[in-house]
Amino acid sequence: MSLNIFRIAWIAVRELLYERVFYILLCFVALSLSLSLLLGQMTYIEQYKLTVDFMLAGGEISMVLFSIFAGISLFQKELTMGSVSMTLAKPISRSTFLLGKFVGQCAVQMTMVLGMLIVTIAVSSVYRHPDIASLAQTYCLIGFESMVLTSLCYFFAVNSGAITTAVISLCFFGAGHLRDNITQNADMKSASFQIWRVVKNLVPDLELFNSKPLASYGVTISSVEMGWAFVYCVICVTFFLTLASLTFNMKDIPT
Amino acid sequence: MTLNSDAISLTNVTKIFHTGVIKRKTAVEDLTFSVARGEVVGLLGANGSGKSTTIKMILGFLKATHGELTVCGHNTEERIARSFIGYLPENPRFQRFLTAHDVMKYFGRLLGMRGEELEKRIAHLLELVSLKHVTKERVHGFSKGMTQRLALAQALLNRPPLLIFDEPMSGLDPLGRKEIRSLIMRIHDEMPDSTMFFSTHILGDVEQVCSSVILLKQGRLKRQCTLDELLSQGDQRFELLIRNLAPSLHKKYLDAFESRLSAGGIQVVVDGAEALAAKLAEVEKDGATVASVNSQRKSLEDELFADTSFPLPVATNQSMGKSL
Repeated sequence: MSLNIFRIAWIAVRELLYERVFYILLCFVALSLSLSLLLGQMTYIEQYKLTVDFMLAGGEISMVLFSIFAGISLFQKELTMGSVSMTLAKPISRSTFLLGKFVGQCAVQMTMVLGMLIVTIAVSSVYRHPDIASLAQTYCLIGFESMVLTSLCYFFAVNSGAITTAVISLCFFGAGHLRDNITQNADMKSASFQIWRVVKNLVPDLELFNSKPLASYGVTISSVEMGWAFVYCVICVTFFLTLASLTFNMKDIPT
Repeated sequence: MTLNSDAISLTNVTKIFHTGVIKRKTAVEDLTFSVARGEVVGLLGANGSGKSTTIKMILGFLKATHGELTVCGHNTEERIARSFIGYLPENPRFQRFLTAHDVMKYFGRLLGMRGEELEKRIAHLLELVSLKHVTKERVHGFSKGMTQRLALAQALLNRPPLLIFDEPMSGLDPLGRKEIRSLIMRIHDEMPDSTMFFSTHILGDVEQVCSSVILLKQGRLKRQCTLDELLSQGDQRFELLIRNLAPSLHKKYLDAFESRLSAGGIQVVVDGAEALAAKLAEVEKDGATVASVNSQRKSLEDELFADTSFPLPVATNQSMGKSL
């Protein structure tokens, strides 16, 4: 099973590199990083901080979009195109297929995160000696967040169409970052708050993966916090991929 | 593989699709049949008769609502069942960036093949399907026929005892159809123990390739028999060419089912010897002459559509005139 996951993952990597959506998102990454450099020029004193801040934000948004749209492209397209039928006609499980795609996509995402880290270090070194540890930590957390979003996207892609998957995944991203704010500011007696209390438990807490404000000041987080973020990432990915696998196994594939 | 088990066995299989919150559509109902090993079986039926649903259930893509399906003695929901199947889909699609060799290698590895054994098998199969000269070319530029042949080659990689072809000749030009047909026959010669099960709309191909047929109608099994049994039974048909008929009587003859106006006269088809005798008497009475009487063998198409509830379009001289 494990070897077949990597065979499918390798094809998924090549597939992503051949996809137009990959290059569009790559352009978006390049644009957001370049814009950060320009925006940094808007201040005289805090150039490093502002540039790094924008770069990290641009990097995060890029990875969010990549997780969702590459996920849809990789998984949904294969289902709608029908090429999945020949793969699933072989003695491999649907979970293997799903995991293979996930591993392939995550490999590309991690490479992109590494590339963005190198660019950010290179650019920020124009202003002063960059805080490599804090930048590496932040990009690592962005990588974790993108993995959680990818697994979430796969779960929705199994159960719904491309547009619904994109919309719901983006909603989960928003809710995942704002869940504490919503809880604090909501009217606790209202009926919608009671619904939110239920929904909140299903939305992963993505703020755990946010250390951007600290990184722009050059502050690092403790290894324990990093460890917890990693464990939380693994739990979320396992949960959503298990759900995705279970529903995919039960689903009819009308290829 | 379980010894002495059928290649395919379906017992009381029903598939109901949920087409809405309340709406249900029964695609296949109480289907029971089995396919013995080594047979070449054609699955026939009109559009919507449940052919593709049946094939997808055998492959495990669709879950049966009721009933039991086995492949070589294994339940189709078990992963091992698919190791006995080589599948050629109706519209095979490959990742566009892969070469023919990459495709074969990828599927070969998924089947657990590797090393020299895999390479030798790939070379042999690409030669068999006449794609050796494009081994290193991306499938992106392949024609429909080439894609179909590559899909056929990947289905044969692990010498599966059961080959399932879903409309293997659909969308191909006559030459492509001939190629696939001769390939199927060649594969059967090379692997005489393997079972071939395929659905098709092209009935002539079934007549040439299959040893037996399964007819589906509206999701139910209409009949399962050998091709010879199917074609030999029933009334014999005769085609008459009638000449020198008075123009005022043309309508009377052309109103009959499957009659048409041709350059030599009016062609009329009758079923059975009694109907022939009656028609000959009628022609004589009307003062016309019978130029020829040809005996026709009952075709598979006639059998397949014998009791369809809707009339099949028949070109009369009037409708031909309008369309022209």
